[in-house]
Amino acid sequence: MCYEMTDACHCPKQVMKDCNDQLMHWKKVEKDYESLQERLITLPDKLSYDVMVPFGPLAFSPGKLVHTNEVMVLLGDNWFAKCSAKQAEALVAHRQKLVKKKLDDLHKVMKSFRDKAEFTADLEKITDTAGDFVDIREVLSKDEEVTKGKPRVAHKPNSKPKEEYVLQLKEEQWEGEGGASQGGVLSETELWARLDELERLEEEQDERDRLDSTDTNGEDTTSSSSEEEKETETGSAVEVNGHRQCEDMSPASYAGRVNGVTGLALDGQDKDEEYEDEEEFSSLPTIYFSHTTEPKKVRINTGKNTTLKFSERKEQKDAKRKKKSVKCNGHTLHEHHKITTPADIYRVFVDVVNGEPVPRKSILKSRSRENSVCSDTSESSTADFEERRALYGHEEGAHSAASNGVTEDGRHAAISLYPNGRVEAFSGTVVEKDPLPVLIPHLTITPPALPTIPERKQEEVGSETPQEVPKRVSKFKAARLQQK
Amino acid sequence: MAEAIQRKLQSELEKYQQMQKDVNKSMSARQKLEAQLTENNIVKEELDLLDSQNTVYKLIGPVLVKQELDEAKATVTKRLEYINGEIQRHETLLKDLERKSEQHREILASLQQEYQRAQGIPAGKV
Repeated sequence: MCYEMTDACHCPKQVMKDCNDQLMHWKKVEKDYESLQERLITLPDKLSYDVMVPFGPLAFSPGKLVHTNEVMVLLGDNWFAKCSAKQAEALVAHRQKLVKKKLDDLHKVMKSFRDKAEFTADLEKITDTAGDFVDIREVLSKDEEVTKGKPRVAHKPNSKPKEEYVLQLKEEQWEGEGGASQGGVLSETELWARLDELERLEEEQDERDRLDSTDTNGEDTTSSSSEEEKETETGSAVEVNGHRQCEDMSPASYAGRVNGVTGLALDGQDKDEEYEDEEEFSSLPTIYFSHTTEPKKVRINTGKNTTLKFSERKEQKDAKRKKKSVKCNGHTLHEHHKITTPADIYRVFVDVVNGEPVPRKSILKSRSRENSVCSDTSESSTADFEERRALYGHEEGAHSAASNGVTEDGRHAAISLYPNGRVEAFSGTVVEKDPLPVLIPHLTITPPALPTIPERKQEEVGSETPQEVPKRVSKFKAARLQQK
Repeated sequence: MAEAIQRKLQSELEKYQQMQKDVNKSMSARQKLEAQLTENNIVKEELDLLDSQNTVYKLIGPVLVKQELDEAKATVTKRLEYINGEIQRHETLLKDLERKSEQHREILASLQQEYQRAQGIPAGKV
């Protein structure tokens, strides 16, 4: 603004000065022409004049002016014309007109520029003196200048990002993975070592499970049904520890458990959860929900009223267990598993839901029922209700069918401690592998289970895999291979 | 980098100055032509004021050459035509020159920015 003002003030002033000079010049010319015209008018009055004739710049000599009516006029551009004084006067008049025109033009220019100058001056006056008009000025502070002047340099084409950032990112990533697996930071090698160990444990467990399953297949159903017994027989859990160790992916969980039963429950839950997770993973949740509704009906139909009640009780117990297990799980394998596989994540979600069994039920039931049919042991917190119901139903069915019920019962009574604990542990594991033989009887026993049977195999296939957790694909493949 | 740009800037600046000089020259030439035009116009008008009795001289060097009035008028009109043509020519020339100088100015501005950036990089590094 200031610049503009000075500029506006400056320019017209300069122009006006030039105009003034020209005006002076032309005014002088005009005056000259006037005097010339006067002379020309009076010149022919006499025939001759006595005049001092200039000789060069310094000398004058007296002389006589003759031919007073003869004038040589410079027309311009080196054109001369010899004419009379009268004609000369006409020419002078013509020239005076031109001069006058020139003067008028100059005056116009002067006026326009004077107006501009006056306007700017007025503007300055108006803004300076506080009035209705305010000059909007933005002061350019030094800081702003600095920031503006600061050159912003683009990265050179080959330049790499600062290493610090890269390193930080990597660390963060690793932290995330490590935290997922152990809650602490695990280096890659550690992580892999851990995974290998887990695989090894799983393999061992699988072997044992196979052995057990072959032996206890019949028992499994009973064992699953015998959950009640387990609960009553807390002591058995301690003995089962051996199993647990085999099964155990999570050593920490042992310490956390006060009761063998809870520990067993946890283990079983873990396995079941894993199964469930895989199932969930394999199939869409919506489908499960639909299943969940079905199994209840089925149970109701198949199961007796008493069984329902039973199941409710068990559910409560299960809920308690779940809570405990959740606490334990938080620290143990579950966390690892959660993080390692997407299914695990899903399970975490389920755990959160544990307090409110409903969502789990829905998810688990479809699978859980299947599991329950085969594995019965499914104490998995998520599947508890459904599984148990299914189990009860199975039990009832089993009892009613009396396929092996008496003998199994007898076994339980005799070996109550052993088989129960084992069965529980087994049930989770056993279910996976062999269920084919087991399934068949189940089918016969419980019609509703029929549709699930084919799926069950899949589940089993899947079920084996989940324990191995870390590498899904490899697990699947491994599971298939093992089955084959 | 910065030096190369600076050199280029320098050369461009010189070219631009040269161009500006040309523009000024043609401008002054045009002004002279304008003045001649007005002068010849006046001459023509004044010649029209004269009658055939009057003798007209043309000053060529130190000599006044006598010329017929009609002849003088013809030459003056010819002269006017020539001057008008010249003015036209200079007009187009001026436009061309101004356009060129405008382009040159833009080039100069971009070069200047480049140069400042080039100077800014070392400053930023430091």
